[in-house]
Amino acid sequence: MIRLEDLSVAFDGAEVVKNINLELRDGEILGLVGESGSGKSVTALTLMGLVSDAAQVTSGRILFDDVTLLEAGRPRDRSLYRGYQGNKMSMIFQEPMTSLNPTQRVGKQVDEVLRLHTGLSPEERRKRVLEMFRAVGLREEEKVYASYPHQLSGGMRQRVMIAMAVILHPRLLVADEPTTALDVTIQSQIIGLLREINEKQKNTMLFITHDLNLARRICRRIAVMKDGRVVEQGDTEQIFGHPAREYTRKLIEAVPSRIKTNKAARMADTAGEPAVQVRDLSVFYQDGGNSLFSRNRRRCVVEGAEFDIYPGESVGLVGESGCGKTSLARAVLGMNRDITGQVVHRTMGPQMIFQDPYSSLNPAKTVGWLLQEPLRARGLLDREKAMTGEEMEEAAYEMLRRVGMDDLYFHRRPSQLSGGQRQRVSIAQALITHPGFIVADEPVSALDVTIQAQIMELMQELQQEMKLAYLFISHDINVVYRMCDRIMVMRKGRIIESGDRSEIFEDPKEEYTRQLLRDS
Amino acid sequence: MASRISSLKWNKYLFAGLFMTGLAVLLGIAGFFRTPYSTTAMSAAERFDPPSLRHLFGTDNFGRDIFSRVMQGMGTTILISALVVLFSAVLGIVLGALTGYFGGLADEVVMRFVDAVNGFPSILLALVMISILGNGRQNLILSLGIVFTPSYVRIVRSEYLRLRDADYIRRARLMGVGKARILFVHILPNILPVFWVSVMIGLNNAILAESGMSYLGIGVQPPDASLGNMLSDAQGYLQAAPWYALAPGLAIVWVVLGFSLFSEGIRRLCE
Repeated sequence: MIRLEDLSVAFDGAEVVKNINLELRDGEILGLVGESGSGKSVTALTLMGLVSDAAQVTSGRILFDDVTLLEAGRPRDRSLYRGYQGNKMSMIFQEPMTSLNPTQRVGKQVDEVLRLHTGLSPEERRKRVLEMFRAVGLREEEKVYASYPHQLSGGMRQRVMIAMAVILHPRLLVADEPTTALDVTIQSQIIGLLREINEKQKNTMLFITHDLNLARRICRRIAVMKDGRVVEQGDTEQIFGHPAREYTRKLIEAVPSRIKTNKAARMADTAGEPAVQVRDLSVFYQDGGNSLFSRNRRRCVVEGAEFDIYPGESVGLVGESGCGKTSLARAVLGMNRDITGQVVHRTMGPQMIFQDPYSSLNPAKTVGWLLQEPLRARGLLDREKAMTGEEMEEAAYEMLRRVGMDDLYFHRRPSQLSGGQRQRVSIAQALITHPGFIVADEPVSALDVTIQAQIMELMQELQQEMKLAYLFISHDINVVYRMCDRIMVMRKGRIIESGDRSEIFEDPKEEYTRQLLRDS
Repeated sequence: MASRISSLKWNKYLFAGLFMTGLAVLLGIAGFFRTPYSTTAMSAAERFDPPSLRHLFGTDNFGRDIFSRVMQGMGTTILISALVVLFSAVLGIVLGALTGYFGGLADEVVMRFVDAVNGFPSILLALVMISILGNGRQNLILSLGIVFTPSYVRIVRSEYLRLRDADYIRRARLMGVGKARILFVHILPNILPVFWVSVMIGLNNAILAESGMSYLGIGVQPPDASLGNMLSDAQGYLQAAPWYALAPGLAIVWVVLGFSLFSEGIRRLCE
């Protein structure tokens, strides 16, 4: 039905999509998989006619039912595209918050699509919108119709986006990372919904994702992109079973999966004293600002948490966003003062690694300065541990090499590093004072899968070497499976289940844990 | 291609700004040490000479060389403005950093005070302060400095408010970095690009404010020259000697325009 023939797209003379050939058959779901920067989004936007004017189609063409939508050497035909956009092809974006207009009620926004493309009366349109809301699983559709985007949850917003995209029964639906911003349980609901729509409306779907597991669950065929080229395409199971290309195999292997076992032997030293002991810990938050005139409400976000972490042990903390994982971790590190209960540290200066490698390094400083700062700070606090300038520089270089980075990065700034390199520097900065306990808050979820695997490996190596205790927070069960010896499941501020990895994965006691495992 | 065009663009701003401010600052500095003619020597024979090669900008009602007086006035004006901005920027950074980072009661008090200062027209407030403190350069700098501080406090405070919960600042706290060090070593360099632009804008405002105050007769006192008091002297002779008003007026335009272009160039460079 749709064919991209030898398509190349260039920005400022640099080709980001190189001679790709893709064919979408009627009613199928094709997965377009690749790491960030591989050109998959540009491909989709070009197909939709939504790519910016700076992009140039340097070769090939796009065919929709044998009509040439776009061809190299011909300017984009906007009026031709207008006949297709919305009507015959539509798109779902990653971030539903920014793709909906925050100042308009969502019902009106969906209504707008019908108003532009059909001759229905206002009453009929309203009926169609409400029907569609029901069909995408939005309960209380009347209430949703009259809501503003910020009044809805992320999952509901994405459902509204889907309703908007499919209300005209488009023949082609492009979904660009539609579930990446959502929690796993919601993610699997959305995937189910997309599959249902595909069965009902028989539309063709191009499903773009960086997550191979996800692609495997919804797509019958997959195309793998790397550096602007399609390196492999074919049946999903065939690609997973017998990847023809080295890169595809690497990508599949990098995906943390429960089928593969944790290579590292269990290192936990549970005989001695725990590195951290947490007893009956509750964490509170103040609602409503710190103004003089507003009355504060104290809200309990974590209730009665109890656990020990031993040197060399990794304990995973899983749960949906907003369940209190991060609040608990901050409280354990003493960054959250409004707590009751007890936290006992038996190691010096516990450190934290954050999720976003772009915000966890001071952009005004060089890597070398950043690595030496913990040592300087320790020296200022405790005269006996003060080191000379050369000693600190020496230690910083050594740590930089230890996390697998070249000496030449010493004088670079964070903005000159990739996401994976920044996360390495973060780890180096956290470990340079040799703390015994590290809290890692989603340390790999902002990274591409192959980089993810490297960072996890590095963290495991360093753990063995330095006998580190990890509290590893993640929403990704598979990452936790790979990293952790013990797992705690958290829901609504409480730790509802905890146990050894095999216990949790093979014999979960709680229904919620079972659901988490099913969904990922 | 597009990037090359835009880089040419900032070059234009920066070069023009650098040239204009550079010339003004050089002339001003030179004016402190040496001027072609004495800035105070009067000569009845040379009253109201029009611009010529001997007197580039002509002479005034006392027969003084206007070019020499513009040189001196420009130097005085720029120096006073720079000191005003220095005073208010430093005070603004300290107050903004403390209130933004720590919040709480001190924040409320300082910010209400800032609101109060903002509630009056700035020139009027400076006038009142001068009339309490008395005339003189130090008092002019002090009162303009106080009037200019609130805008810096606001900018710095909002930046500190934004950055105090940044992940890298959280980590610095976790490393045991001291509070003063977090404030001025970790956070400060990150707000400088934003701050720099407002300093340049502040410099322009200070030049205009100083000229205005001197024009009103409460800034630099005669016989010392300042662009403002020259304008004020010249307004009685607009018909007889238009160059007398034109010279300091154009000098003000030159300096302000130069700083504006310069700051625009810097802003584009930072982007």
